[in-house]
Amino acid sequence: MRFLGRRIVGGTAEGSVLAAETPLSLLGGVDAITGTVQDPESPIRGERLAGRILAVPHAKGSTVGSYVLYGLRTRGCAPRAIVAASADTILAVGAVLADVPMVDGIPVDLLRTGDRMAVDAGAGVVAAPDLVEREVVASFLEREGRILVVRRSEKVGSFRGKWSGISGFLEGSDPEAHARREVEEETGITDLRPIARGPVVRSRGTDTAVYAIHPFRFEAPRGDVRLDWENVEYRWLPPHELESLDAVPKLVAAYRATLTP
Amino acid sequence: MHLTAEEEKLLASGTPAEQLSMRILTTLGDVYGADRLLPIASAHVSGVSLKTLGQPGLEFLEGFAATAKVRVRTTVNPMGMDPDRWRELGIPPEVAAAQERIADAYRAMGCEPTFSCTPYLIGNRPNRGEHLAWAESSAVVFANAVIGARTNREGGPSALAAAVAGRTPNYGLHVDEKRQATHAFDVRVPMRGYRWSLLGLHIGGIVGDGVPYLRGITATEADLKWFGAALASAGSVGMFHIEGLTPEWRDANADDLSATRISENDLLETRDRYTTDAEPDAIGLGSPQLSADELRQVAALLEKHRPRPRVYVFTSRTARAEAADAAKRIEALGHLVLVDTCLEVAPMERWATATATPSGKGAVYLPTLCGQKVVLDDLEELLRRFG
Repeated sequence: MRFLGRRIVGGTAEGSVLAAETPLSLLGGVDAITGTVQDPESPIRGERLAGRILAVPHAKGSTVGSYVLYGLRTRGCAPRAIVAASADTILAVGAVLADVPMVDGIPVDLLRTGDRMAVDAGAGVVAAPDLVEREVVASFLEREGRILVVRRSEKVGSFRGKWSGISGFLEGSDPEAHARREVEEETGITDLRPIARGPVVRSRGTDTAVYAIHPFRFEAPRGDVRLDWENVEYRWLPPHELESLDAVPKLVAAYRATLTP
Repeated sequence: MHLTAEEEKLLASGTPAEQLSMRILTTLGDVYGADRLLPIASAHVSGVSLKTLGQPGLEFLEGFAATAKVRVRTTVNPMGMDPDRWRELGIPPEVAAAQERIADAYRAMGCEPTFSCTPYLIGNRPNRGEHLAWAESSAVVFANAVIGARTNREGGPSALAAAVAGRTPNYGLHVDEKRQATHAFDVRVPMRGYRWSLLGLHIGGIVGDGVPYLRGITATEADLKWFGAALASAGSVGMFHIEGLTPEWRDANADDLSATRISENDLLETRDRYTTDAEPDAIGLGSPQLSADELRQVAALLEKHRPRPRVYVFTSRTARAEAADAAKRIEALGHLVLVDTCLEVAPMERWATATATPSGKGAVYLPTLCGQKVVLDDLEELLRRFG
């Protein structure tokens, strides 16, 4: 996959990703001499920045954290490049001081530590050659204010036992038509009235797959649910209860996407 | 971002420090969508104490200073010790030496060695409408809200770059719309003393990086120093308005905002959130640094109440000179009046485990920067409780 972001500091780099889903504090959160992450709350505690491509949402904490990146550069312990969701003053100034290529506008939540990556910061292009995008449709059926969710069986290929909307890999070029077919196959419900189609929501799988979810919401006024082999259980839930389910990744995000078409 | 011919030249063929400064400013301008750079009237730089700057910062500054000269009046934040008294206060010589090297680097760049978080009290007082590049959040909020000058909450490095280039990118609080109110509050409680700190902590926790608009109160500049410092510590606030009082309240566009009422209970809950029941072994005053007037008030209170814990009073060199008699009286009682440093960047952790203070900003930073348990209360009440 290739991601197009925004150049913050130009330059090119290749390497292995060090990814954290939470913001990183540079002053105090990173050892200024070795470049080892020491913030006890960081998911990448104990990892070294040296030679890696640092992928973080943004930085947090003291603004003099920028000087830490500079100091790491002079010691040969700086990251090779930085990719961020949204640049902030600390990271951007730090990248300038340390002359480390940096791009922002990158969905770092799709990246994992160990992904291979090539950064062309001048062009704002970030390539992750191992990541493969797979398109998925996910439908949320609505009846009397409740949403239909199903629990995936042990026979399906991924996310066994997790709660989800009615979903499947996209076949053909018409996501809505395919979404309707999946609903018919998995629930037997045919009377579907489109309410909304949301923007694509992306989610990283456990391997190198990135799921591009096309979310739909249909009103389904009638018809009993008849599950096929793909699911073992269903519930009609008020929308706020979706959050407490042991669910597939981005279930709530995909549902919410249908609320703001 | 559009650059003038002069700015292009500075970026392409200035000294190494000038080129780096311009790269920092144009990068930030691009990040935040600025259309151009604005000339600034003054800069105020943070990142002076060894504690907050660290060894990498010291190394950077010394290299940078070799080719950097500030283009505008530039004041600097407190350092980590009173440079005249570090031996007496048990600061190791190597720490003091590193601290002096930082101070020397700023001096070499032409910064005024003010070492104060209250530049607006000691001669670097901007005019309304002037653009600035100030770091130190409590000074930023004072300059914007109370004076009507315009500065973003700069970081240490970006304020230094602006000082060297004499410019700052045009975005955020430099722009009219970004100075308008985002939240309105109806303050229905009497305000005095440290209650301004409580109000700042409470509202800062609600508005995040917004611009609060307050109705129902009036204040002195001294009150607003404490309010703004607490506000900017509890939230990423850089601006506020008080109806009928602060210079830009008429432009705040607050009429359509529904007001949140502030009650006595809000202030009590705020105090309870920041205070502990620890027995303080120090009382810390001055975050921000005390003014000359405040030094005189503190001297009178200390003569009246005689607290058991030692009182550490932080002020600027200028204010101490102005209130020299008050400073002498405080020290004669066995307390300390320290200059060029401040409550959070001084090594309070060497002197105490629990510090009592009326400062909301102190209550936010003492636990993280100095490992202190905090007792937050009104000053006279503290002196009575621990007398």
